[in-house]
Amino acid sequence: MRPLTLRRLFLECSILVLILFVVVVIAVKFGAVPVSLYALGRDLWHVLLGQRADLSSDYVLIIKNIRLPRILLGIIVGASLSVAGTSFQALLRNPLADPYVLGVSMGASLGSILALIAEPHLSISPALASLLTPLGAFLGAGATIAAVYFLGRREGQIDSATLLLGGVIISSFLSAIIMFLMNTLSGNLRGLSFWLMGDLSTPLQKSAYWFLGIGFLLAAGAIYTTAADLNLLLSGEKEAMHLGVDVPRVRLVVYIAASLLTGLAVSVSGAIGYVGLIVPHAIRFIFGSDHRTLLPTAALGGAIALVFADTLARTIVAPTEVSVGAVTALVGAPLFIYLLRRRLS
Amino acid sequence: MSAGSAHARHLAEAGRLANEIRLSVEQVSYAYSANPAQAPLFTLEATSLQARPGEIVAILGPNASGKSTLLHLISGALAPLSGRVLLNGFVTQSLTPRTRAQRIAVVQQESALLFPARAWEFVLQGRHSHRRSLRFESEDDVLIAKNALAQVGAADLSDRWMNQISGGEKQRVILARALAQQPLLLLLDEPTLHLDIAAQIGLLDALRRLAAENRYTVVVVTHELNLAAEYADQVVLMQRGRCLRVGPPASIYQRELLEQVFQTPLSVELGSSGRPRVTVLSGT
Amino acid sequence: MKEFARLRPRSAVSAATVALLSCAALTCAQSAPPVSSASPAFREVTDEVGRTVRVPQPVRRIVSLAPSLTETVYALGLQDRLVGDTDYCDYPADARKKTKVGGAINPSLEQIVALHPDLVLATKGLNRLETVHSLDGLGISSYATDPHTVEEIITSSKKLSDVLGVPEAGASVAGEMQRRLADLQQRVGSLAAKRVLFVVWTQPLISVGKDTFIADALRHAGAVSIVDSEQGWPQVSLEEVARLQPEFLVFADSHSDSAFPAVEMLATLPGWSILDAVSNRRFAVISDAVNRPAPRIVTAIEDLAKQLHPDAFVEKPENGKEKMEKENPPPDQPPSWHYSFSPDALQDRLTTPGGRACAH
Repeated sequence: MRPLTLRRLFLECSILVLILFVVVVIAVKFGAVPVSLYALGRDLWHVLLGQRADLSSDYVLIIKNIRLPRILLGIIVGASLSVAGTSFQALLRNPLADPYVLGVSMGASLGSILALIAEPHLSISPALASLLTPLGAFLGAGATIAAVYFLGRREGQIDSATLLLGGVIISSFLSAIIMFLMNTLSGNLRGLSFWLMGDLSTPLQKSAYWFLGIGFLLAAGAIYTTAADLNLLLSGEKEAMHLGVDVPRVRLVVYIAASLLTGLAVSVSGAIGYVGLIVPHAIRFIFGSDHRTLLPTAALGGAIALVFADTLARTIVAPTEVSVGAVTALVGAPLFIYLLRRRLS
Repeated sequence: MSAGSAHARHLAEAGRLANEIRLSVEQVSYAYSANPAQAPLFTLEATSLQARPGEIVAILGPNASGKSTLLHLISGALAPLSGRVLLNGFVTQSLTPRTRAQRIAVVQQESALLFPARAWEFVLQGRHSHRRSLRFESEDDVLIAKNALAQVGAADLSDRWMNQISGGEKQRVILARALAQQPLLLLLDEPTLHLDIAAQIGLLDALRRLAAENRYTVVVVTHELNLAAEYADQVVLMQRGRCLRVGPPASIYQRELLEQVFQTPLSVELGSSGRPRVTVLSGT
Repeated sequence: MKEFARLRPRSAVSAATVALLSCAALTCAQSAPPVSSASPAFREVTDEVGRTVRVPQPVRRIVSLAPSLTETVYALGLQDRLVGDTDYCDYPADARKKTKVGGAINPSLEQIVALHPDLVLATKGLNRLETVHSLDGLGISSYATDPHTVEEIITSSKKLSDVLGVPEAGASVAGEMQRRLADLQQRVGSLAAKRVLFVVWTQPLISVGKDTFIADALRHAGAVSIVDSEQGWPQVSLEEVARLQPEFLVFADSHSDSAFPAVEMLATLPGWSILDAVSNRRFAVISDAVNRPAPRIVTAIEDLAKQLHPDAFVEKPENGKEKMEKENPPPDQPPSWHYSFSPDALQDRLTTPGGRACAH
């Protein structure tokens, strides 16, 4: 018997933080414009020693204003998607659940687009208007997961196959609506197809990073309070209830918080698929499936995976950028099929 | 609440209530319908029974007689249409899930795991209701889980994976998890369903010993006439949503009554232990 | 720098040494005034989407985010100041050799930054608003154009030349364009406009809306688009086209030679044979300059006019050409590049002189 301890949690998290740091350094180094880490370190050192008045403006602009914000966005979005995926897997008792596979990302996308369309017609202050897209994405995500949940329920129990099928159908239905909107409306929806594939390249307003970061901490924190309950929920709702889980409350908290995470991520980066699927599985394989460690380690793992995928996306054919969603789907879709087949056999 | 104080409470209650009624089911009824506008698909007519600490109650009846429904009403998972279920004087339905899980443990027919877990991890789940939500398992929790595994004779299974052990072993681990809850009331739904004879006897022997040692009140749903006769202190005989009789096996096991309930010719004789024994007569 | 210091706690990782170092160093760096190659002189202009832009003076380094803007920069003779353009900037041939910053929709911001541009040129019709906003955030001036008619292309080029500090070059380019359009107007203006379908894409069939500069270009060439849509790039049904029966189908292709077999293929595509224009081989293939709101569009318009109204050019084609060459002698240009929107250039590129009107 080797029960979970706080020490083990810290150890596992430190390992991942270390890996994340290495990935961030790699992400800082590689890009369309080559940066020598040695030269950067040397210059920083000279500046610190006062031997140089300032740093080359290239460093300031490229690293500080472009790469670091993008890496930060990758960290928050990756962690959000991964935690959302982990939560949906527990909530729906389905190891193949993922915001993208279930159509939740598509719902959030549609919500964002509707908010974009509605924005000019509402007379609200710019500050409120900037919240409209995340709000639309959250509502879209929430409505979709509710629909998928009810489609997937048969005789009070969630049926795994029906659930995935429901997700696929809802996803294609929503993308049809998006196509319809993009075909009929012109103008401000330009570039949406690019955004829909997943995009981290657009730096956000400073306040948006605060908004995202705080939103992530609140939602992920709320989910973490139910971590022990989620462990039991995996054995079935009835069984969890008999073991002392307040199932309706946990379901509500996780449902709202996971929708919020998906909505936040999608509203800034579009529908990046499979991060919420691959990462929790990899983490479970390495560190076990106890949600008290799984949630924080999956968050870190998601950050690592997305920052890495985005570094690939911007360097493979630099300076032309590939959609980061295309990179994650290239890796994720085969893995999804592998998991599906292993589950069926 | 620490395990120590829980244990103290347990002992105090056990002593005080040794001869008192622990579980009291009072005129409980239930109706299930898929559509409220239509006549209910299934009803359970008003049922009453009482059980003391250390007592084993068997709910007996053929399929679709309402056995499991009655068990779920007792567990608080279902809300009764009328009547109430009291545990030590508290209505089980109105307890929070946490408090209820500290007092009532339920062993389901089958426990499906989504991701593989080791037996000890599984048993530790029983400590959930005794922990604060974000706490990790304490030394006490680990000790209680170890004891629970030992009590059902499954200490050696501790590090095995749940999906790699036999049905009988699995059933023992599930029972150990229920014991780790340190309940007052232990509810079992067809615990012997998929077990061979030896495993059935082993499990029920363990159950009788545990009920006597820990003063659990045990309610078992079964359709195994002889196992109920052998191990139960009280038998609740059910048929088509009605409770026909409640009483000790000797008073329930009458040939005409059982033949009518189970729709098959059988003979009843008194065994050497003073408990009735049923033989199903085939082919007449 | 304060903003950077605020960034730090949000990213758990940058707490590590290098990040700390850079944070401290950047803090020092920020205390000194930013020194860059740009002189402090700025000029405030309003661009075509209504933004007020601070343009450094003079503009020495230009990055173009659209093929049309690249062409305009070349037409203004500022090719030496163009330090970066997109993957799609292929005209003139020299533009291919410029440093690439990626696609028009998703250019690499860091590549743009690394080029130290004084001004980035964007166009509303092709680039994303987000890109312009991101450049603003990085303190890089950007100027956006948004022409919707051929006239606006002329004024837009003129205004751009002014912003870039070469108003004379702009006036000359604009004058040339206007003169040639006036000449065209004289030839085809009185003729009945041909009803055409401008084919952007065949499967699905996509055409142009009425508010685009392409639709306007068609009008200048003595044609009118049968598609009357508010949208920029409407998808139209073959049935609707069959009902309206255009006299000509107009195609744009950068490789005119290869386009012709592709056009011939149309007749074999299911459904397309119901169009009279297809069964009678009434196709007009012009250079893809028509897709680019740049000075060269006039050449495409002329070419189209010749294919649609060959009779209007029969009488004295030689005179016209001579006149043009007299009034507009080709400027002295280094051989490494060649931007031309004179009719000759196009004639050379086409295998069949006189265009591809196959009306017989």
